[in-house]
Amino acid sequence: MSVSEGPQVVEVEGPVGAEPEPELELADASAESILEYFEERGWGDGLPLVPPTRDRVDRMLETVGGEAAAGEVVATLPPRFGLATRRILAVNAVLAGCPDAVFPVLVSAVRALGNPALNLRGVNATTHPVAPLVIVHGEVVARAGFNAGLGTFGPGNRANATLGRALRLVLLHVAGARPGQGDASTQGQPSKYAYCVAENVDASPWESYPRSMGVDAASAVTVYCGENPHNFHDMENDTPGPILDKAASVMATLGCNNAPINTAEFFVVLGPEHAATLAGSGWTRRDVQSYLYERARLPAQAFRAAFESRVRRPWYDALADADAMPITDHPDNIRVLVAGGPGKHSCVIPSWGMTRSVTLPLES
Amino acid sequence: MDSIRIYSPEGNVGRPARSLAASPDVLTGLRLGILDNGKPNAAALMERMAEQLTLRMNVEFAGVFSKGSAATPCEEPLLAEIAEVCDLVLTGSAD
Repeated sequence: MSVSEGPQVVEVEGPVGAEPEPELELADASAESILEYFEERGWGDGLPLVPPTRDRVDRMLETVGGEAAAGEVVATLPPRFGLATRRILAVNAVLAGCPDAVFPVLVSAVRALGNPALNLRGVNATTHPVAPLVIVHGEVVARAGFNAGLGTFGPGNRANATLGRALRLVLLHVAGARPGQGDASTQGQPSKYAYCVAENVDASPWESYPRSMGVDAASAVTVYCGENPHNFHDMENDTPGPILDKAASVMATLGCNNAPINTAEFFVVLGPEHAATLAGSGWTRRDVQSYLYERARLPAQAFRAAFESRVRRPWYDALADADAMPITDHPDNIRVLVAGGPGKHSCVIPSWGMTRSVTLPLES
Repeated sequence: MDSIRIYSPEGNVGRPARSLAASPDVLTGLRLGILDNGKPNAAALMERMAEQLTLRMNVEFAGVFSKGSAATPCEEPLLAEIAEVCDLVLTGSAD
């Protein structure tokens, strides 16, 4: 976990997980009928669904302890306070079309959602468009078929697409984060359908992201609640400064929640070619963080004039209006990841703000 | 067409350990506080409500308390302080 402090999720009193998950008998097994049935109840994400029959759900569960562990409550998800048992997670994984091998990633991602530092109640309830991004690390990337390379944020890969979709279905069904009910997002954002990438550690010049966060495991999962990625390209330079100045330009904007909430994180996802250029000049991940912290700034007055509601450390108040104020209050808040394939593109993902990313080892 | 048996996708619901206190039947003479959630217009709205309640119901205004951000729950020490000096609290969100 990246940070241990944070708001508390409402406690749930037991017994929990003792009741079997409800089953439904549908008279018509056609794909159209099932989709209509779900639509009538406000279930689903609007796309076709795979029926969660008992045999399909049982096969999914076999990847993480089978029937014996099926009743474990992995997390209690607000605002509905739905009990995310392994079985109900398997139900939603089947609905999303997940291959069995990705299911342990979903279980770990939901465990991360339950971490108080992530503040899921706020993430689901806010008017901001925030969506949880799942980042997959380690040997499970190749084993389960995740795409860490070209187009990792995009379509065309079943593991990325269905894992991201399954997490959203869990939020819709178990957490109750349905638009207008548990989800107050004014406009939503496309990544609320599916938001999953994989770290391209083979193309990274630095140690794996989880290891940099103190998680030493063969595979791991990070969940980070933010906006859609904002691309920046640099095809002109072969030194770090000009490339990262473009990243800093994307970060230092009044048009993201990091501006009023200076305690928040960013994810900077570097394409392998940009990462290689930076490392080729001897820059470490920490150097990238430190440089971006220094460069992603605006005059303090710009922030003060733009927002009445602000979350900042006290030392910001001592800055003069003309002082260059950092968009985030510590280099550690700038999380650097390598993902993607050939090309001179990278991206910045602003945070929702009142949330911290969580990195956990993969379920076994 | 054959029938099919599937799981509900929602599962079961946990019960929050905390419950709301009962609302008082009579406001007159009670101490009224405001828990400001930090939204730009929240305090303006609730201060107006408190003003009217003071005038119409003769409640005693106990002050404005700030929890800093609408996005996170109120910290326990502040809740304890409010519980000590207030019988009623107005809170809410106003963008």
